[in-house]
Amino acid sequence: MSSARSRSRVAIALTYLAYAVILAVFLGPVLFMAWGSLHGTGAIAASPPDLTAPASVDNYVNLFQSMEFGRYLGNSIIIAGGSTLLGLIAGAPAAYCIARLGLKSLSILTIVARMAPGVLFLIPVRTVAIRVGAIDSIPLNYVLLVLVHLIITLPMCIWLLIPFFESVPRAIEEAAEIDGCSMRRTFLTIALPMVRPGIAVAAVISFIFSWNYFLFALGLANADTVPMPVIAFNFIGVGQYDWGGLMAAAVIIAAPTTVLTFVAQRFLVRGLTAGAVK
Amino acid sequence: MAAGRARAPRSMSPERRRRRESWPLLFPAIALSLLLVVFPILYALGLALSPTSATSLRFDQLTFETFRTMAADPVFWSSVRVTLLIYVGSLIPQLVLGIGIGYVLSREVPGGRYLQTLVLVPSLTAAVVVGLVWLLIYDPTLGVFNYLLGLVGIPAQDWLGDPDRVVWSLILVDVWHWTPLVALIVAAGIRNLPAEPFEAARVDGANSWQIALRIGLPLLRPVITVVALLRTVDLIRYFDTGYIMTQGGPLNASTTMNIYAYRKAFDELQLGFGSAAQLALFALVLLLAAALTWLRRRSELGA
Repeated sequence: MSSARSRSRVAIALTYLAYAVILAVFLGPVLFMAWGSLHGTGAIAASPPDLTAPASVDNYVNLFQSMEFGRYLGNSIIIAGGSTLLGLIAGAPAAYCIARLGLKSLSILTIVARMAPGVLFLIPVRTVAIRVGAIDSIPLNYVLLVLVHLIITLPMCIWLLIPFFESVPRAIEEAAEIDGCSMRRTFLTIALPMVRPGIAVAAVISFIFSWNYFLFALGLANADTVPMPVIAFNFIGVGQYDWGGLMAAAVIIAAPTTVLTFVAQRFLVRGLTAGAVK
Repeated sequence: MAAGRARAPRSMSPERRRRRESWPLLFPAIALSLLLVVFPILYALGLALSPTSATSLRFDQLTFETFRTMAADPVFWSSVRVTLLIYVGSLIPQLVLGIGIGYVLSREVPGGRYLQTLVLVPSLTAAVVVGLVWLLIYDPTLGVFNYLLGLVGIPAQDWLGDPDRVVWSLILVDVWHWTPLVALIVAAGIRNLPAEPFEAARVDGANSWQIALRIGLPLLRPVITVVALLRTVDLIRYFDTGYIMTQGGPLNASTTMNIYAYRKAFDELQLGFGSAAQLALFALVLLLAAALTWLRRRSELGA
């Protein structure tokens, strides 16, 4: 009895030890980035990095004051938020129908979107966008970027929501239908409220992936609509790097998704494997 | 049986009614998919089949000329080689490390759920962030990577500027970026394994290693093939981190098929060429995904 308990205590201690090593490797670079964002290039460039240098938020202040970073932050929110919202509005009813009627063949479309390489979409979209003037016009360019990011969010919302709708007890919906509810009403008044947790998960995961996606905005955004990842990438092209400023930009890009990861942690595995598991 | 048959004709009509009523609910998703997925793919196919010199669709002169020109381009074949090297070179360590770390994450310890989420942070971080951080870490003069290697006596290297080394440097970044996701999925798979086979093996006197290798791994095979499928689809399309860190250089040494297509299309403005390269890449993704799906079906039947 006591040997079993002490063995399990050893097992727990070993697990924590393993966690310490794993976290050092996987969080080390992230912590280094956070540290670097609070320092000048001098402290970062010292070998070894000068860990005793005083910290300051100058890099952040500079980003927002002289680099208009607030604007790019707003662009990212518009693009990721807009495409998530549209993805849910179009995806939830589709997922409901697929779950209810077993229209698995229809979901093939969404697998294609998940597997095709991004440049395949980007070449035609950019060609058409130039022709209709959606590159230079600011409002049209926002619409374009939100729509194109639907290529990421729509399949994700559909795949994530199918299992949630499948788990709604069929009897409740059938009762509503016998009472004369149309499918649209059953969806809106019965199924949708019951899958609210699923909607939240789909929203969080779609937002994270849209927020992180780089290629479409790289090829389609104009100077006013460009989101943060592309701006941060453009900083690299300047040549002489302001490493402190770059790390501050990286922290600002990474912060929202990290917070959302913790919010959605319990559902993440299910969410991230959606599509592959089916 | 009789009751089921009696109910069948009555349930036919609500079934048909539901199918008709489902159209308005499906319409937005179908319309958006046609507009954003089907149309661009057909358009890209048209561009790829137009003459190489064409800058727009030429349906009147369909030809395989672009594909032939591409097949004669040594840079294209080098991009195929780099793509496959990054795929295999990243997938294997990600699976091996992911299974090991997944085992640790599957152990129930107080606070484990939060530690697990911390481990996952790299995988949900934007490629731009990962690229920036590793550019700094790899920097030949001020990077902390050379400093740490110097502590154990390894001389400073130019990790991204050396054509022979750049792919391996990018692979290391990808392993860091995506192993946590593999580990998390494996951990969930381990937690869902049935207990009986393990207890039976223990009663039979097998040791921990034997149990892990002979019982745990085979039972995990369906989960591992799912993870391999997920990573395959992304690794074959490798673009973001590589483009951010090296733009495919030096000397095309890290130009994957995706980066090749992007540069052809947008730096050299050869849209047909870029489309052809993307279609070749898409075919490769579908081929590997089909192979892995077949493997998974088999492993599920076996399990």
